[in-house]
Amino acid sequence: MSGNLSRRKFLAASAAVTAGSLAAPWVARADAKEITALLITGGPLYPKYWEKIVQDFTAKTGIKVRYDLLEFTPLTAKVVTLSAARSSQYDVYSTHTAQIDSYFNHFAPLNSYFSDAELADFYPVAVKYLRDPKTGNLAAIPRNMDARVQYYRSDIYQEKGLKPAETWEELVDVGLKLTGDGHYGLVVPGQGDPAQRTFSDLLWQAGGDWVDQANKPAFNSEAGIKALTFYRDLIQKHKIVPSDAVGYQWNENSTEFSSGTVYATFDWPGAFATLSNPETSRIVGKWSTAPYVRDKAAISCAISHAMALNGQSGRKDPAVEFIKYTVGADAQRLQFDQFTNFPSSQAIAKEVIAAAKGPQATWLQQLETTIANGKEWPKLAGFSKVCTLMFSAIEQALSDQVSPADSLNQAATEAEEIMRRAGAYD
Amino acid sequence: MSVVAQHQAPGRRRRSPLPYTWQRGYLLASPALLVMLAILIYPLGYSFIMSFFRWDLSGSAPFIGTGNYTDELFGRQFNQALRNQTIFSVVSITIEVVAGMAIAVLVNGKLRGMRLARTLLLVPPMIAPAVVGLNFRWLFNTQYGLVDALLRMFNLPDIPWLNHPAWALVSVIVADVWQNTPLMVLLFLAGLQSLPQEPLEAATVDGATPWQRFWHIVLPLMRPVIMIALMLRIIDTFRTFDVVWLMTQGGPGGATNLLTVYSYLLAFQAVDFGHAAAVSYIALGMSLFVLALLYGVPWLIAKRRAI
Repeated sequence: MSGNLSRRKFLAASAAVTAGSLAAPWVARADAKEITALLITGGPLYPKYWEKIVQDFTAKTGIKVRYDLLEFTPLTAKVVTLSAARSSQYDVYSTHTAQIDSYFNHFAPLNSYFSDAELADFYPVAVKYLRDPKTGNLAAIPRNMDARVQYYRSDIYQEKGLKPAETWEELVDVGLKLTGDGHYGLVVPGQGDPAQRTFSDLLWQAGGDWVDQANKPAFNSEAGIKALTFYRDLIQKHKIVPSDAVGYQWNENSTEFSSGTVYATFDWPGAFATLSNPETSRIVGKWSTAPYVRDKAAISCAISHAMALNGQSGRKDPAVEFIKYTVGADAQRLQFDQFTNFPSSQAIAKEVIAAAKGPQATWLQQLETTIANGKEWPKLAGFSKVCTLMFSAIEQALSDQVSPADSLNQAATEAEEIMRRAGAYD
Repeated sequence: MSVVAQHQAPGRRRRSPLPYTWQRGYLLASPALLVMLAILIYPLGYSFIMSFFRWDLSGSAPFIGTGNYTDELFGRQFNQALRNQTIFSVVSITIEVVAGMAIAVLVNGKLRGMRLARTLLLVPPMIAPAVVGLNFRWLFNTQYGLVDALLRMFNLPDIPWLNHPAWALVSVIVADVWQNTPLMVLLFLAGLQSLPQEPLEAATVDGATPWQRFWHIVLPLMRPVIMIALMLRIIDTFRTFDVVWLMTQGGPGGATNLLTVYSYLLAFQAVDFGHAAAVSYIALGMSLFVLALLYGVPWLIAKRRAI
């Protein structure tokens, strides 16, 4: 027999490989003891965290989890693409409150998998904004809370005899005293979703809201214009925020503070771990935390990273078992220990607050207060598209292209039309 | 006996059971055609169909005819993106072609160091656009960037490169010109080196100045190469995404939103695939229209002259 590969053998082998690769997903899917998950990562510790969670879960239940990790932005883009394709590639998704309204028809409702008592343990603000307001379906379950507090340079403040700002006026006063010699008193992000988050906080603090009782846009109210004017003036008038902040998102915002260039910022829980680590911070031991500033009200956003079940999944029960494990007590404690992620379970949060000491205990108390008073923008049909519009409207005002009033009025007119077309008023 | 069969050594290969017909040609090409259909034609067709539906993950996807197209054509954000795209394409292509030709003529000369210069010209097009975007983002940073640091060295005021709407558009054009002018140089250089020398020598003998030789002989002879260069750049500027996304994400306030960036934002931020597909097809239609003008107008003029 000839050792050479004949054309017939080659074609037969190619056909076998093609058939095998086509059949592989179905063969894999047939195994009910294995599920797939698309999970969030960020920083060097996250892969190890998921590895441990998955190992522990498999040891406990015998269900294997094949998973892929992606950072927040590519993860969001991939979930959008897979949902549009009605893909069943992953049974479980990491998700977030921010865009949850886009997935109300694609994530399977989790209501029936969680008892009322179980749901009552999660922070109400987290559960509220993960529900479809039309159907009441729970699209995802919160894994950890995201809220912001003020981080400031305690060493510099002490040296200059300053206290962290509590109000908008104090924020400007303190910022002006700290700005100079290549340093700035404050940094806030000014681009995309982070800019909308910042405006949103200021809008609520000024006494406004995104929509009125009839769900019509109300962010262009007097309070909204005041909020955006204040936000713009921090950069353009008072100049206590670097002018480059118009192009900053969260990473640049955090880096400006951790590098020592800026003396105060508002940041997420992860910053506590980052700022304490000499590998990621030049100001270890030189900073402290304080509550977020207030105006008429002391409100800022309280959102959550969450876990969702793909509506197309053929293995819903083992997938829900995994979801429940990732939001369970052990996983939440591990998250806090590893990344100082604030638990979404009120019971675990109380536990970690009680065990914390010194500055960490103060910080956790401040975070809990923010979460208890926290809000999120509405989850109405079409609001994801309104967000894209808002990115542009806020950036235009921050970069002085148009006045805050003109920018918000124009955006409000367009937002109403977008939501009307999307069926928000049907 | 066919020509192909005559060249076959008898007895060495089995005769194929299929006759040599056009059907057999298609049969043999069918795997490649199927792959083309699957990865090129199907997505194109699918997204074109998508552009006529309200396709936004809301469960139902009703047919809305040309609604997505009319929404966009009369929408403020689309018109801002269209204006940016026009400025970006016209300015960057003009600079790239003019500077590319000038540098090509220069490096075509027999001056010292020209070989090194030609080699260095290969560097910018070899760098990934994402890397170019990141580098220029830092170069143009007001606080830490090299460009403003140099301005400060000469006691000149800082320029808010990426924070001011007009400067931001200038910045992304500069990055695009930096990356793509060398490609133009290489194309023009290849064209210049393949030109017939006789007309140039004759013009020199007749006393033509270097500028007269360039304008009346080199430029007309280079026309086919220039047309190819223009075609490549027109197609490319309508696809530009990475550099702009990494430098500004279309900001501030949509000041650098090109059609591709706007389409991406619609699809992945607004989760509105119908409008995103419509914007993509408008962009495709525009680039085809510009190409048709580029090739069609000279052809029509030539035809009219012939009549």
